[in-house]
Amino acid sequence: MGIVIAVISGKGGVGKTTATANLGLGIAMYGKKCIVVDFDIGQRNLDMILGLENRVVYDLVQVMDGEASVRQAVIKSKANDNLHFLAASQTKDKGVLNSEKVKVLVESLKETYEYVILDSPAGIESGFEHTIEFADTAIVIVNPEVSSIRDADRAIGILDAKSQRVKEGEEVRKLLIVNRISAEMVQNGEMLKSEDILDILNITLLGKVPEDKGVIDASNQGKPVILNEKSIAGEAYIRISKRLCGEDIPMKDIESPQTGVFRKFTGMFR
Amino acid sequence: MFGWMNENKSASIAKDRLTIAIMSDRQHLTEFPFMDELKAEIMEVVKKYVGVNNVEIKKEIEGEIEALSIEIELSRD
Repeated sequence: MGIVIAVISGKGGVGKTTATANLGLGIAMYGKKCIVVDFDIGQRNLDMILGLENRVVYDLVQVMDGEASVRQAVIKSKANDNLHFLAASQTKDKGVLNSEKVKVLVESLKETYEYVILDSPAGIESGFEHTIEFADTAIVIVNPEVSSIRDADRAIGILDAKSQRVKEGEEVRKLLIVNRISAEMVQNGEMLKSEDILDILNITLLGKVPEDKGVIDASNQGKPVILNEKSIAGEAYIRISKRLCGEDIPMKDIESPQTGVFRKFTGMFR
Repeated sequence: MFGWMNENKSASIAKDRLTIAIMSDRQHLTEFPFMDELKAEIMEVVKKYVGVNNVEIKKEIEGEIEALSIEIELSRD
């Protein structure tokens, strides 16, 4: 039986879909069978990030409605055979999801895949609730910025209230990724440190991803940034993926002056 | 090393503001601990007459008046 991971955020635009694509690919590169599912009905985007937009024939809603089988709808990643993808419906809206259908789909995916990663819609309406309902683990994505952190806290509150695991008296694992960190700004006291964000949200840190122009370049091409060996964000996603696969990878301090331009700058004072 | 310089920098302002805002957000959520039960019961009552998908209850404040607004989403079939 595979584990189900919901990737969530309170606010949109913090890098949720990018994280989903890269973690899915990272886990697949680690040798595990993984499927990423776009639950953002009506705002399909994961297909673009994965470079699979031209291959979508059937979508998630058609599978849930029995119009297509999982096998027919699933698309294999170009980058790694272990990674499969199920697209969101572009024409319907979030209201079409309901608990029973989501449960059936998630249960059937768990039988085939070791990791089932659900890319949740932003916000906290019903589409979000259905994505987190049957998850074993939630990965919360935030940017080191006030509105993203506040909205993440609300999303975590709803997760705690609606999760099936919590209702059954178990725990849903909550992990945090801080995305788009600028070491220079943190050093200048202009950006919140990951430790501060952890204090405020009171959850476990899964990883830190630095700001990296390569991310946009990667999405332009539909090749997730984890494939770019020169990218610092890509490296961060490799570390995070390994942690998700159970490896004990120490947290890299990307907020200290050892990285990039800042290193040269502080070097002058040594 | 630069710690003493950062006291009044915007990151520490952000932390203070967030801590307070989130505390008040959480309080709001726990203000009506019976909310889920209330929803379920309303759903049961309405179901006797018409199909229901979901019930949402929100607290609204207008001037002096606090109100709970109840939104009932009907099912199509």
